[in-house]
Amino acid sequence: MNTSYSIDLIHRFVNKTIETGFDEVAVLLYNNRETMIKIANSQPSVAQNWSEISIGIYLVKNKRIFILELKPVSIDLLLKPVEELVKYADKVEESMLYAPLPEPRTVSKLKDLVSNKVLNYIDNPYELVELSIESAHREKIDYIAGTIDLWFVNKILVTSKGVELSEDKTGYEIYIRAFKEPDGSGQWCTCGIDIDKKSVEETSLYASRYAVESINRTSIEPGKYDVILSPLVFGNLLEYVSRMTSALSIFMGMSMFMNNNPGDKVGSEKLTVHDMPRINELPNATSFDDEGIPTFNKPLIEKGVWKTILHNTKTAHNFGGETTGNAGWIYPHPWNIVVEPGDYSLDELISNVRKGVFITNNWYTRLQNYVEGLFSTISRDALFLIENGEVKKPVEKIRIADKLSNIIKNIDGLTKDTYRIMWWEVRIPSKLPFVLIRDVNITKHML
Amino acid sequence: MVEDLLHYIVDYGLSRGASYVEARYHKNWSEAIIFRNNSVLGIGREIDEGIGIRVIVNGTLGFTATTSLDKEIVRNTLDKLIDQTRSLSTFMKEKIEFADAKLGRAVYEVSPRKKFDTMSIEEKIKYGKELWSIASKSISEARVSVLMIQYFESIEEKIIVNSDGAYVNSKIPRIGLFYNIVINHPAKGSIQKWEQLGASGGLEWIDVWKLHENIPNSVKTYEKILLTAQSPPKDTVDVVVGSEIVGLIAHESCGHPSEADRIWGREAAQAGKSFIKKGMIGEKIGTKYATVIDDPTIPGSYGFYLYDDEGVPARARYLYKEGYINEHLHNRWTAKVFGTESNASARAMNYRSEPIIRMANTYLKPGDYSFEELIEDIKHGVYIKSFMEWNIDDERWSQRYVGLEAYLIENGELKDFVKNPVLEITTKSFYSSIDAADRELKFYAATCGKGEPSQGVPVWTGGPDVRLRNIKLGVSL
Repeated sequence: MNTSYSIDLIHRFVNKTIETGFDEVAVLLYNNRETMIKIANSQPSVAQNWSEISIGIYLVKNKRIFILELKPVSIDLLLKPVEELVKYADKVEESMLYAPLPEPRTVSKLKDLVSNKVLNYIDNPYELVELSIESAHREKIDYIAGTIDLWFVNKILVTSKGVELSEDKTGYEIYIRAFKEPDGSGQWCTCGIDIDKKSVEETSLYASRYAVESINRTSIEPGKYDVILSPLVFGNLLEYVSRMTSALSIFMGMSMFMNNNPGDKVGSEKLTVHDMPRINELPNATSFDDEGIPTFNKPLIEKGVWKTILHNTKTAHNFGGETTGNAGWIYPHPWNIVVEPGDYSLDELISNVRKGVFITNNWYTRLQNYVEGLFSTISRDALFLIENGEVKKPVEKIRIADKLSNIIKNIDGLTKDTYRIMWWEVRIPSKLPFVLIRDVNITKHML
Repeated sequence: MVEDLLHYIVDYGLSRGASYVEARYHKNWSEAIIFRNNSVLGIGREIDEGIGIRVIVNGTLGFTATTSLDKEIVRNTLDKLIDQTRSLSTFMKEKIEFADAKLGRAVYEVSPRKKFDTMSIEEKIKYGKELWSIASKSISEARVSVLMIQYFESIEEKIIVNSDGAYVNSKIPRIGLFYNIVINHPAKGSIQKWEQLGASGGLEWIDVWKLHENIPNSVKTYEKILLTAQSPPKDTVDVVVGSEIVGLIAHESCGHPSEADRIWGREAAQAGKSFIKKGMIGEKIGTKYATVIDDPTIPGSYGFYLYDDEGVPARARYLYKEGYINEHLHNRWTAKVFGTESNASARAMNYRSEPIIRMANTYLKPGDYSFEELIEDIKHGVYIKSFMEWNIDDERWSQRYVGLEAYLIENGELKDFVKNPVLEITTKSFYSSIDAADRELKFYAATCGKGEPSQGVPVWTGGPDVRLRNIKLGVSL
């Protein structure tokens, strides 16, 4: 690890920045070490590793806001762009988002955020590569593709208000996609702060089983179906919903909650979604946000009722609320998404469906209109028709084309088991169950 | 000095047993102004600078990146990469090799006609705020509730050196603008449009884009759509697909499936595979109008470059030609696997990204009709001019586009607005249904995502308006 960027050094830089003429400064530094092995056709396609420093600098002069994002080749070069920006300060107008940086608060540090096993795998990932490929091939599949990503991050935050915080953390994300001729494929994923081989193994095994079970697909007609979504699909759709609870999403016209208020019923009573930065099993766990506010766990939606607008101090000031410890200097965002489990096993969920589709993976969710929540997404990998409470057969790709509001309103059951999910299409680490949603609009190409 | 370091990296990597070493100094500078309605939310500047290094060791590919220009740190980074790559080679079933290629030794630069500093920050802010002023006053019945604008300018500088003799030094400035318009009506709900503009060059593009005219005109149109649009016809109709959607289709259902790394399976767990399989060159995909070209060398284009990040000279690639699959996008690795030559498709987003196969500017070749001729014999049809929602499956076969600005066509004339018509169609059906294209080629800016970690690179998509016969449209909720 490059230790040249200590809190003291950043503190001195903050002082120098104030001397250039800025009123308020915050510096957020990430010192990152990462190894990523990409797998294709059951062999590594590329080994990538990074050791780098990213620095964000938040600057205010006369309520004008400037943000610098730097990957500096040397700390000596940090001050030059600051000096260039200060010249802009009297030419730009006050930001309507402006609020003073918060005073330091007591931060209760999260424990057990660094895993020695992950640190070791960053340097020696070979055992995980072998385990992923070998365990997937225990099923009669043809090949796998996937990613094993492992990292260590040292995060430092120093502000001109006296915040001086540091946090070390490890994390990993693994996803595996298995293929079996002629048309079978399946995917699973996992993520965390500490790693255990069982999760790695299960990721490959789940993917392979879905690949084997989904060969020889037939088509189904479009229409209304009850759907069971895997945690991967549910996580993808809930990521959109959760981001829409950000004050800035509402402010920028990118939220279906623009016409709602906290306290409104927006979903099924069976749905409770939390933002959980203080859960040390998901990789975005953190003790403090980008303004130095201590993080806390909070419900976004509780028993179907919208509970929280995610705020930093600026959006809170603008909306007349309190910060929720979710900064982003500009964009407040959820840290980790956790959905409260239900009472069902997956088999019990399936047994509650007369005519439905079990969707194990999706991608390419796009919205026609964020305010209306009108979207579609297309399935990929294993997909099964359910009839009279039983999985009948694998079927070809379909789309969910509906409103996000309908999706969360029509939830009728969740499994008691939950799964840690993160991959290309779920960027916020999430812990979720399988979910049953009634009367979902399904389309497919008819040309 | 940086060049000396790049040559040192190549030489040292070879001395450590690598069969190929590539060192790329890559700097991206960008500045953005973010507006919401009448206000500037803030100004952002981003500078990332470093060296990306790629090696082949024992037939295994390794990549690392560092922000340090210190020789000792770079050497240690390279040592670690070579050791890790060598250790992984035990898992390789097929060794990675690169095809031979003529590599460039060149220096080139895009010179903006109007440099970024010929307009002051105050003038740029005034420009953005005027857009809100004009847009918000352009309608009366509905209301523009949000106009978010992000204006940016950037400069990308690269020096690429590799062990096969390439040396390419380039500098490309780009300018761009994103905006999100939300229009509300108390009884009719809302309509939303997200737009992206981008090009290589400088402030001369501000004049080309004419946003002072185009944004208020669009807002007026969106108000009319919100207030008056009717459901699309349920019967089979002829459909004219606007160039904005045609460009996206060319990108999504020709460009992406033509990426040879995707065909091989390298992106199978991320961006997916391809309906095109190895050996399908020459297979029929559509009518004679199905010619899709990807050309990095279009002057002023958002995806402009003259040499790719492996140092291979760029040229136009005819991916589909007159209805047949004609050529794939290759880097030097896939060229070797497919027994062909690289056509310069390797691009990296920044220093911390490996070069992978990417599109540049992908467009459907225009035809010889005027727009009026396209619609004149349509008795009953729909013209879908623009879109918001779209997606395509991971083999690039089944796709869906939901129109935003769309019109009924009756007896050869554009009539009422149509609400959210859905074109849900396979790749082959689309290209096989084109029976005419107009001669106006229009380009649209986009940021194309691919890779792990995901890389967004600037591209243009484009095409003419095209006519499809006998199409059954769907209806959005």
